[in-house]
Amino acid sequence: MNSEMTTTAALRRLFREIPGLGRGLLLTAGLAMVGTVLQVAIPVVVQLIIDIDILGGESVDISSAARRGGVAVAAMVVASFARRSATFRLSRLSASALATLRIKVFAHLHRLSSLHVQSERRGALVARVTSDIYRIQDFMEWAGMGMMIGVSQVVLAVAAMLFYRWQLALLVVLGVTVYGLALLVFQRILGRAHDRVRERVADSMSALGESITGLPTVRAYGAEGPTLHRVRSAVDAQFKAEFKTYSLGSALFSSAEVFAGGLTAAVVGVGILLGAESGLTAGGLIAFLFLVNLLVQPVQTLVETLDSAQAAGAGMRKVIGVLDTPVDLADPVDGMDLPDEPLDVAVRDLAFSYPTGDVVLSDVNVSIAPGRRIAVVGHTGSGKTTFAKLVVRLLDPASGVVEIGGVPVDRVRFASLRARVGYVPQEGFLFDTTVADNVRYGRPGVNDDAIRLAFADLGLTEWVDSLPDGIATRVGEGGSQLSAGERQLVALTRAWMSQPDLLVLDEATSAVDPALEVSLRRAIDRLISGRTSITVAHRLSTAEASDEVLVFDHGRLVERGRHPDLLVAGGVYSAMHRDWMAGTRT
Amino acid sequence: MVADAVASGVVSDVPRLGSLAVDGARLIGRFIRAHPVSFAIAVFGSFNFAAAIVVSAVVVGHITDDVIVPVLDGGEPIDGRLRGAVIALALIAVWKATGIVIRRSGATWMQGRTQADLRTRLVEHLLGLELSWIRRQSTGDLLAVSDSDAGQSTYVLGPLPFASGALMLLIGSIVIVFVIDPILGVITAVGLITKVVVDITGAWRTFARFEGVQIRRGETSAVAHESVDGALTVKALGREDYEVERFTDVSLRLRDELIEIARRFTLYDAVQDALPPLTTVAVLVVGATRIDVGAMTAGDLATIAYLLSLIAFPLRLIGFVLWEVSGSLAAYRRVQQVLEVDDSVRYGALEPAGAAGAAGLASDGSLTFGYDGDIVLSDIDIDIRPGETVAIVGPTGSGKSTLVTLFARLWDPSAGAIRLDGRDLRDFARSALAGEVAFVGQDVFLFDDTVRGNISFGVDAGDHEIFEAARLAAAHDFIVDLPDGYDTRLGERGTSLSGGQRQRVALARALVRRPRLLILDDATSAVDPSIETGILLRLKESVLPSTVVLVAYRRSSISLADRVVYIEEGRVLGQGTHDELLGSVPGYARLIRAYEEDAAERETVR
Repeated sequence: MNSEMTTTAALRRLFREIPGLGRGLLLTAGLAMVGTVLQVAIPVVVQLIIDIDILGGESVDISSAARRGGVAVAAMVVASFARRSATFRLSRLSASALATLRIKVFAHLHRLSSLHVQSERRGALVARVTSDIYRIQDFMEWAGMGMMIGVSQVVLAVAAMLFYRWQLALLVVLGVTVYGLALLVFQRILGRAHDRVRERVADSMSALGESITGLPTVRAYGAEGPTLHRVRSAVDAQFKAEFKTYSLGSALFSSAEVFAGGLTAAVVGVGILLGAESGLTAGGLIAFLFLVNLLVQPVQTLVETLDSAQAAGAGMRKVIGVLDTPVDLADPVDGMDLPDEPLDVAVRDLAFSYPTGDVVLSDVNVSIAPGRRIAVVGHTGSGKTTFAKLVVRLLDPASGVVEIGGVPVDRVRFASLRARVGYVPQEGFLFDTTVADNVRYGRPGVNDDAIRLAFADLGLTEWVDSLPDGIATRVGEGGSQLSAGERQLVALTRAWMSQPDLLVLDEATSAVDPALEVSLRRAIDRLISGRTSITVAHRLSTAEASDEVLVFDHGRLVERGRHPDLLVAGGVYSAMHRDWMAGTRT
Repeated sequence: MVADAVASGVVSDVPRLGSLAVDGARLIGRFIRAHPVSFAIAVFGSFNFAAAIVVSAVVVGHITDDVIVPVLDGGEPIDGRLRGAVIALALIAVWKATGIVIRRSGATWMQGRTQADLRTRLVEHLLGLELSWIRRQSTGDLLAVSDSDAGQSTYVLGPLPFASGALMLLIGSIVIVFVIDPILGVITAVGLITKVVVDITGAWRTFARFEGVQIRRGETSAVAHESVDGALTVKALGREDYEVERFTDVSLRLRDELIEIARRFTLYDAVQDALPPLTTVAVLVVGATRIDVGAMTAGDLATIAYLLSLIAFPLRLIGFVLWEVSGSLAAYRRVQQVLEVDDSVRYGALEPAGAAGAAGLASDGSLTFGYDGDIVLSDIDIDIRPGETVAIVGPTGSGKSTLVTLFARLWDPSAGAIRLDGRDLRDFARSALAGEVAFVGQDVFLFDDTVRGNISFGVDAGDHEIFEAARLAAAHDFIVDLPDGYDTRLGERGTSLSGGQRQRVALARALVRRPRLLILDDATSAVDPSIETGILLRLKESVLPSTVVLVAYRRSSISLADRVVYIEEGRVLGQGTHDELLGSVPGYARLIRAYEEDAAERETVR
């Protein structure tokens, strides 16, 4: 993907992706600059009061000192407001900009088939719109402010030094530069150590996670000892790596103090040696002692910012990686609507393979007349579910064409396709809301009466009434309050709501209660009657009741025909049937 | 319980400062008592740092009076005092740096160790708790407690030593300035103490809002998770735009919360940031008058100004501690809630009888089980003879899974007892029971480990035993076809297997232990029926000395059992052979008829 993209390039890219990100940045920087006066004014006031008011005359000029003090206080109050406004503006900007980015990435995710195909990557995809973005946001706020204040402080402090004595200013600038470069080298070393820490953290998180998620398994096998041992050693390894790295870090960064002290000593020595003849005043030299401290701290912050930029860069690259993943299931530009008549399906030379090159489906040719009831059967991995997904365009084929109602399916507008073609997956997903809301998910705005009617149409009134709150019953996270079979009932009713002309249904494999099974069968029968249907069948009865059975084997359509004909044909289907009969008759 | 605690975290009222201080001090005290040495080291380093700052300011004052003013203003010649000044400044810098290293090392050690201890203790505690308790918790909440809460509990330890040093520094500075001049002392004290108070108030006021940010972040994650999990359904129904709209809603709420917190925080921040420089200006102006009356020198003024410029950052640490303590307290309360759950499984001391061969299992007639006030099983009377294969059959919700869970002592009965070879399951030592009974459930958990590691899982098993178990479970053939065979990594970061393959690996994991009682709770639901039949046949015929209890849904599995126990609504309505039950128990006959009417269709064609 973008593994070679530099952090700067990633940052530039972000500015392009989020149009508002640069807005008002100059003003914010200006305000931050004014805010720096808060710190830089002190050395100047010290110098003026010492040189002019205290040492300048016979007696201390109090009214003059008070005047200067008044001006300084006024300047500081202004500066303080300016800084507050700069910090707030930057926080507000990054919060808004990152919200925009988060929404944009999320919207893009929903246009990628990997979201539902590579289920094991789901956790990582969620991280793209949550933790990765939080990290970028923290960095932008913290580093943005650090950079702005740091740079202005360096500029103003150097300007003040140059004003007092250029030789001393040169000494300090040289010293700080050398120190800054040394810090950069330290950072590299630390960066590598931090990578090791991150690995240990990931290990210990994984050990912790497994010990909790797998707790019932651990208990069932009496493996508490080894499990605790694994957690303990992972957690200890994390502690050791962290301690080592942080100790190294504190040693490197305490060098800032040594450095600032050394520079202060050098400034005093050189300043005195330069002497009053050079034009250096007592107040001027004392001001330098303050200015040195004002310079060392921002240099340290700037270097740390550079370092965290590397880490934030990794997050940015991941997020950009999502945006750069081409949309593989795009709504066609100038797409067509499906014809307003019963729909047929024609499949020509259809093939599908994974990006890894594994061929899942090839050379599939079939046409299905309107109103036909088709069953698709085959062993696990035969490609039957992939076939179903290709028909409804939840996947795009590697080659070949699917036509619905005479229109190539990738030329059909999504709005038309999803309205006319229904798909019920094996595990219908339920959202954490009520039964009614789940049913109307595909048809928002439908009222409760229509939903009750839909359950009645599918013969499910009795079941719905048995729920604690009827259609207002909450289903819990992922539908956990309902059984697998009950979730299927909701998914079927949801499909019924849109009265599709073509229905593709992937039968669930998991066994359900016989009583519920009767309801399910009846609901499915009513759902598919009167329309073109393709059912990925896991039940023999589905195949028996179909107009035609399509038999898939190793990614190919190997047989088709009516159930009784296939039984006597002596092919894959009759072998499957024989296996099964043997299995139950033992 | 944990879930309640998390839910009640909704933008709560600002905590009372007093109770925060008391509870915070108690928490900190507890942590310090656990690691007193590293804490003492850290504080020692921090005090050195504070002392070095005060001394450096005093030295700057002396240099001003003794070197800078005489030479640059009075025109005096340079003398040996210059060298002394330079050396003193350099040495103080080294002192200060050493203080920092000592403080940070001590603090890091203490915080890291406390965190590691908390996590290990949590896992150890959880591993011993009743599964009935675990089951009532959300896994996500327990994970959050052991991961982020255990981490956050200790965050207060990070700035604590530095803050103790800063407190010393505050007191030391005020004292020094008082010694130099009492009037300036009052100004300094007022300025600095006001700063600390503003800082603390800010931290405390902002914190309540900060919980709001956490809640909004939680919402954002929840929507993202749900939307990604349900992606197929979203796409199939063409509802992508709606999902984006939903996510936009929570995202913007999060944004607004962040902006609101920044609005408050930056206000307090600006005020406390301005106070030290403003105090410095006041000190300089008033100091000039004090020099005029001869109460002090220019060097004294330099000392105070220098001290004020160095003290500003350390003082912020006092606010940091308060900021962290509220977060740490909230997190630690959640940790404590889990640690305080007194629901551990108690084991006896009974060792296995050393008996070879299959085990018998019996319940006494009064066996009852219920939870949360619902009776799930009652008056269960079962006697399973060694070597038998028994199918537990019943409609959904009849309690069959619960019953076999009791057989494996994953849960304990509310009344009555279950006896293995005549001995109460609860009297067995932990390790003993695991050696006798193996339980395989429908939901399989595979660890982030190799296939071999997942099968052996905590027992010493050689290749021969592992392969043998895998063959029995019909897993060997597909395992050797995996990229690295038995060394293929599974789990989160490894190869993913199909549901049926996962179940077969789990079965091998149970078989490698050569249990005397094997319990299968719909453990082959995702396995192709023909393969399932093969597995069950092999189990019956194998040399494995095992009694098998299986919860069966499939007609084919039921017919493999020697005996059937029929359960309905938590009661045993009949036991005997399949044929006996068909004749004598109407409920069983009805259920089997439903299976058989379904016969051809109930089962799977794949």
